[in-house]
Amino acid sequence: MTELKDVSFSYAAAPEKGCIKHMDLTVPDGQFLLLTGGSGCGKSTVIRLLNGLVPHFFEGELSGDVLIDGRSVPKMELYETAAMQGTVFQNPRAQFFTVDTTGELAFGCENQGLPEEEILSRIDRTVERFRIADLMDRNIFAMSGGEKQKIACASVDTAQPPLILLDEPSANLDYASTMQLREIIKLWKAEGRTIIAAEHRLFYLWDIADRALLIRDGSIAEDWSRADMDSMTNEKLAEYGLRSIHDTDPVTIELSCSRSEVFSVKPHKKFTFPTEIPLHEITAVVGRNGAGKTTFLRHMCRSAKRSRRIFMVMQDVDHQLFTDSVLEEVLISLPDEDEEKAREILRSLDLEDYADRHPMSLSGGQKQRVAIACAAASGRDILLFDEPTSGLDYEHMQQTAQLFRQLREQGRTILVVTHDSELIEACCTDIIRLE
Amino acid sequence: MIKLDPRTKLLLLLAEAIVVLGGLGGSSAEPFKTVFMVLPFLLLFSAKKVRTAVIGGLLLGLGLAAEFIPAGHSCSIILLMCSGILTRFVPSIMMGNYVMSSTKVSEFTAAMERMHVTQKITIPMAVMFRFFPTVKEECSAIGEAMKMRDIRFGGSKVLQMAEYRLVPMMTCSVKIGEELSAAALTRGLGSPVKRTNVCRIGFHAADIVMFLLCAAALGWIIWRSVT
Amino acid sequence: MKGKDLINIGIFSAIYFVVVMVFAMLGFIPVFMPLLAVLVPIVGGIPFMLFLTKVKKFGMILIMSIIMGIMMILTGMGFFTVIVSAVTGLCAELIYKSGQYRSASKAVLTHGVFSMWLWGNYLPLFFMADKYWSTRQDFGQDYIDALTKLMPMWMCPVLLVTAFVCGIIGGLLGKALMKKHFAKAGIV
Repeated sequence: MTELKDVSFSYAAAPEKGCIKHMDLTVPDGQFLLLTGGSGCGKSTVIRLLNGLVPHFFEGELSGDVLIDGRSVPKMELYETAAMQGTVFQNPRAQFFTVDTTGELAFGCENQGLPEEEILSRIDRTVERFRIADLMDRNIFAMSGGEKQKIACASVDTAQPPLILLDEPSANLDYASTMQLREIIKLWKAEGRTIIAAEHRLFYLWDIADRALLIRDGSIAEDWSRADMDSMTNEKLAEYGLRSIHDTDPVTIELSCSRSEVFSVKPHKKFTFPTEIPLHEITAVVGRNGAGKTTFLRHMCRSAKRSRRIFMVMQDVDHQLFTDSVLEEVLISLPDEDEEKAREILRSLDLEDYADRHPMSLSGGQKQRVAIACAAASGRDILLFDEPTSGLDYEHMQQTAQLFRQLREQGRTILVVTHDSELIEACCTDIIRLE
Repeated sequence: MIKLDPRTKLLLLLAEAIVVLGGLGGSSAEPFKTVFMVLPFLLLFSAKKVRTAVIGGLLLGLGLAAEFIPAGHSCSIILLMCSGILTRFVPSIMMGNYVMSSTKVSEFTAAMERMHVTQKITIPMAVMFRFFPTVKEECSAIGEAMKMRDIRFGGSKVLQMAEYRLVPMMTCSVKIGEELSAAALTRGLGSPVKRTNVCRIGFHAADIVMFLLCAAALGWIIWRSVT
Repeated sequence: MKGKDLINIGIFSAIYFVVVMVFAMLGFIPVFMPLLAVLVPIVGGIPFMLFLTKVKKFGMILIMSIIMGIMMILTGMGFFTVIVSAVTGLCAELIYKSGQYRSASKAVLTHGVFSMWLWGNYLPLFFMADKYWSTRQDFGQDYIDALTKLMPMWMCPVLLVTAFVCGIIGGLLGKALMKKHFAKAGIV
């Protein structure tokens, strides 16, 4: 049994964000519990309370008690809690410790000091059940996000913890990888493990979870049983600020607009990419894993180099902001460092108040806006987005859609590579399928 | 491909440092010196690192060729100094290159554990090797972004350029580092229990050959310096 | 020291090492080699000062210093550096400890002392230099005289002092960038 007893917690670094207020929760063994809610509501904090990262890694003020099988997590050392739970995190790039897959699967067991034969037989068992023999003995750095996440699940599996925690595991995955993650979770559920998942992409978990909690401002706002979940509709969920529970494969969506004005791209040597992009529209670019989305983005940037019309907003915007203030960021993009002009651009994107802030201290959505401001400053009118809504909740996804519509009204062309069918339905006017 | 135990590789580095880099034994160790100058290149070829071997070979060749420049010019002294530095450092660095490129992180950690090095060194070093590719990924992502944004700093802005590349690289790396740290800790890293290591290392025929070679060279040098 | 601290040492060692290596590549052009004692301590100050904000327990600086020495062994720079780095690392550790692991001025001094590990790499150039050149008698005495002028023994301590002084400069640079970037970005 897993319990939270009148738990309150606030982070020392940011007391308002993600705090927990007097939470009581009991999760019986073998239950699959889904935690949901907007970003910053505290659902990740619940996961961290259970794996001990709160308060041992993320420091702050804690009261109440967290118990797994009667043992108090805050009182245990992290390495003791490690044997009782396994956690899959959001970012596939940051959660593996070794460089090769086999070492990764062994890692948790090695830390517990299990005998070598035992570890090897556990690895064999996991490899067989997860059908990942083709991923063994490979360099993890050379793998796709979906494959990395599979390895992360497999490495949790080899340690055989009774409690499995998932902290937005699908945030960086495409549709197909997300469905594979679903299969893995079903496997664990069938084995009777207790599973607690924090997610806002609901479609792949909604029908297999036993219970769902809506967390709001650090408290449990709603506690839905299986029956409640069955009678839930998308409209009702949208009222709660939650994402769709229908699984729509983005590849199957049909959209088209008139292509009166187009931007021509040189054909690619190996792939047959579309060579015409409709101007002044919001075009979604979809495709399965390995359909060449990354190559497409690279190709677009490269072929448009001479025309200087395309600006790509990267998935990890952190990489493309360099300076120490938002204003400076826009200034270095302008051909003639004109401060008046820079401020005007910031105004048009509702960023004026942040002119003196450090770009890295802004939220994800604000960083995206700063990048767009840089694009505007450099005079480019075709904006390329790489997965702009990965890991965003309903509200922020809608904000992004709103921003796209606003940019389109300003006469810009938007090309968005995405696996988010809700975003496509919310704002896109055309679709390109990569095969 | 010749497969060597990480500990043998450490011994080779030691021999390289003494015979070539340290230049111990003087002219009497000349034959061994030649062997240890060539050995790293053979190993690099066996590990299919042809490009590195060729570049290193060129540098070493330059160094050796500079010794034959006729005396008398003032700049030839500088050349000779370059030659001295190249002929001593290049073979050793090539050996280092071989060791780094042919050893898996898990093999290295296993070897350190076998040599009873404390966890306080092995854990940070394992993290470091895991983190090198991440830092590289961050660097290239930032470089790409700069290129796309057409940000070029010429002349007086060299320092700013360094700042705008280094700082985001470090900011992003530190953020990923935090996540990595959190994930590793939930999986029990740092436990006082004696760690298992499933990576198999051990000595084979090639190791014995290398061991004998190093022993002969070191033995010879010691014997010559005593007598 | 707990797991978290050990991982932090690893992460910052990686960042520091990469930053240092980018500049150390210049050392492949032999004329630039002495210049490394200037460049490396200056740029190394940026990641190192960031590292010091995470140092709260005894031994973290020492371990990072020893790891730099081990890395020099692994990259084929010889076994001398690790001996030097163990000593300088311990001194740096004690200095930062005397400032209760938070004094900003002690942090700059700590980096100055820490930077001296680099000096170990020059030792093979001086270490038994006579013996090395004496094997090359065929070049004539003139050459040997000229060479000892170019790489004279007194360069040895000068390089050590250079590393220290530039380490102080690097520490100040790192401190300035912390104020300008890292503090504002919210990662320290």
